[in-house]
Amino acid sequence: MRCIKALTALALLATPLLAQKEAPPSPGTPKDFRVPPRKTVSLPNGMKLTIVPYGVVPKVAIRLQIGTGSIDEGPHEIQLSALTADMLLEGTTARSAQDISRQAAEMGGTLGSASSDDQVTVGGEALSENAERFLGLVADVVLNPRFAESDAARLRANRIRDNAIALSQPQQISRVRFRQMIFGDHPYARVFAPDSMLSRYSAGMVRAFHARNYGARRAHLYVTGVFDPARVERAARAAFGKWAAGSPPTLNPPVPVSHRQLDLVDRPDAVQSSVRVGLPVADPTSPDWIRLNVTDAILGGAFGSRITSNIREDKGYTYSPFSFVGAWPRTGLWLEVADVTTNVTGASLKEIFYEVERLRSEPPPEAELAGIKNNMVGLFAIQNSSRNGLINQLQFVDQYGLGDGYVAGYVKNVLAVTPDQVKATAAKYLDPARMTITVVGDKKTVEPQLEPYRAAVP
Amino acid sequence: MFQGSTNLGKLEFIKLVESNGGILNGSTRFDFTNYFEIVPAHTLETMLWAEADRMKGLAIDSSNLRNQQDVVKNEVKVNVLNQPYGSFPWIDLPMTANENWYNAHNFYGDLQDLDAATLSDASAFFRRYYAPNNAVLVVVGDFSPARAKTWIEKYFAAIPPAELPPPPDLSEPRQTAEKRASRVDSLANRPALGLAWHVPDRWTPEWFAFGLIDQILGQGRDSRFYQSLVQEKGYTSEVSAGINWGLGHQFNYQGPMLWIVSLFHDSSVPPDSLVAAVDREVEALMTKPVDAATLARARTKIRSGLYDTMEQFSGFGRLDMLASFALFDNDPGRINRLEAEFAKVTPDLIRRTARAFLRRDNRTVYTIVPGAQASAAGSQ
Repeated sequence: MRCIKALTALALLATPLLAQKEAPPSPGTPKDFRVPPRKTVSLPNGMKLTIVPYGVVPKVAIRLQIGTGSIDEGPHEIQLSALTADMLLEGTTARSAQDISRQAAEMGGTLGSASSDDQVTVGGEALSENAERFLGLVADVVLNPRFAESDAARLRANRIRDNAIALSQPQQISRVRFRQMIFGDHPYARVFAPDSMLSRYSAGMVRAFHARNYGARRAHLYVTGVFDPARVERAARAAFGKWAAGSPPTLNPPVPVSHRQLDLVDRPDAVQSSVRVGLPVADPTSPDWIRLNVTDAILGGAFGSRITSNIREDKGYTYSPFSFVGAWPRTGLWLEVADVTTNVTGASLKEIFYEVERLRSEPPPEAELAGIKNNMVGLFAIQNSSRNGLINQLQFVDQYGLGDGYVAGYVKNVLAVTPDQVKATAAKYLDPARMTITVVGDKKTVEPQLEPYRAAVP
Repeated sequence: MFQGSTNLGKLEFIKLVESNGGILNGSTRFDFTNYFEIVPAHTLETMLWAEADRMKGLAIDSSNLRNQQDVVKNEVKVNVLNQPYGSFPWIDLPMTANENWYNAHNFYGDLQDLDAATLSDASAFFRRYYAPNNAVLVVVGDFSPARAKTWIEKYFAAIPPAELPPPPDLSEPRQTAEKRASRVDSLANRPALGLAWHVPDRWTPEWFAFGLIDQILGQGRDSRFYQSLVQEKGYTSEVSAGINWGLGHQFNYQGPMLWIVSLFHDSSVPPDSLVAAVDREVEALMTKPVDAATLARARTKIRSGLYDTMEQFSGFGRLDMLASFALFDNDPGRINRLEAEFAKVTPDLIRRTARAFLRRDNRTVYTIVPGAQASAAGSQ
């Protein structure tokens, strides 16, 4: 759903500020926050099951994560994993597509499937009283898909249309171009298949992809919310117990490019430029990971962060800039993303690099860092206070083998980061000379502005 | 409103919330503007003080105003002007379907109007509307209500009320003929179709019936539109539908309001074929009473969906519904009566509501004609 996230200018004339300013009342004592405990078991075929009773709302989230995705596509199979995930919902040996849709709805459920770089997710949420039935539906679509040729034809056409629409959006063009430049010839660099490639995908190819890459050894079922744990575990063992183990997940870590590259994609007369600036950093298993996340939060990851304060609240170049640290096997990526007014594209890059360099050369003031760390601790509580937020957190921990100590120690480890460590982390990882820049915008206006950023200043 | 208040300078409000472990935002809709924070419970008093502080008076200067004009212009660019389809369907359809200026103008704002705003305009608007007698305050979470009331009294009670102007007449005349409109979108590469119908007034039995009609026709893969247009005919991958689509849902507006249905399609399928497929499902609802299983399923979807709405964005959804019912109806307790009202709806009421509101002359059809060159990937 589209939202107008408006931190708008409903502003007011100055009130004379002659009196001394009043300070905010101090907060009370924080209450403890603990991520709810989980139970994780392995089925004999290698599938894992994690259950976390949580909350009071009578709903349950059930999500099967399978370790496959773009990573298992050949160069001529782009989006075959996505099409396979789409096809799961089109019928099983026992249920028609209509049965699946109707039954999910009768459970107050929404069943979905999606494919990403290295994870396929199948599942959704349903009313608590239908937890076991919904789990059975998830199992059926994953284990017994029908994969009919007529469905493949229709879903191919949908993908072709949806790709075309996505590629008319400047942010998507920028994302795709950035991935191509940073991931080179790795499967992660291939986002959208050309129409001619998609048109060749048959139900047989989908079936083969499924047979090759779906299996119990790659699967982890997560259940959170309000449900009966014993009954859900029994239902999971019954539904997935006979699933073949299959092959282990593919390990093919990318080797991202780590030197200055710049590319401008022309979008004639665009009123904004869609900018991405980023580079490879440490992955989640690194001892630097938490420090990188704190460094990112102070730099661009929060509303009150430095880059946002600079290019939005001071300069007015943009509306919703943000930065983040993303995780992939054996690499992370730090990225700043912003849609900026065309005639200040170069000026925006200048300010982004200014803030990066400033953090690399001076430790942040204690108070600024304390504020950002508190923000991260608060966000950690917020993000782990929903059924799907919990699954996201646990799945991240499991995918990167971090152990539950990561969750238990997160707050302590964030709060332990010092100003000197932030400076050292920025200096170690966020070297502008190693950053890749993509800009999607009006070439005739933007190109001269980008000249200073084409080559890294030695 | 984030630029400075009596005791907090520019960015200080934001930093106060963030450094206390919270998140914040604000938004403007057809008939309300809200500001909210989601913060750890122990910071409640701090946040009540800060919200009262900015209701007491903003302190901004011309450079802050200029900055926020630039920021909002960038907001309109990123959400509308630099996006394919941009204003479709969420701005295009209200502007076409409505007659009353209040409902039919571009609510997102013209860039020229934004530039023309002065400090005194902003000041006058603030003084007229940002007053305690024109606002509701909702607090949801883990705290002592008695203590919260003490703090609210302490920080808000002394803020003077404003003399409120009479509310504008927002009523829409009854639509008597179908409307059609179209525009060429130079950034879009596939056509799109949007339809809108004026919906029944809030809290009428028909309004609840319409909520179920939305479920039966438009929500989820089991819906009749999905089954026909996606599953059977393959015209599109998704049909979007909703009351207050794009800006909210059935429970957070005062009205008048539209039900909007939209989809993207290929040039090989003419809009009339799509409209005909929609008509078949609408007409079936007008002529045949819905069967018991369909009605039961729609009610289950409503119940499940209400939980989702309330939990939306870390509980903001519940806060937002309570605020809407408090502001528009002076009765936040209505949140607990929704399910019972939906349970009263009969197949006959659904049929009558469909006949009264889904009639063709209560409808607007809007089409997007793609004006972009075919992408490198080519069209089919």
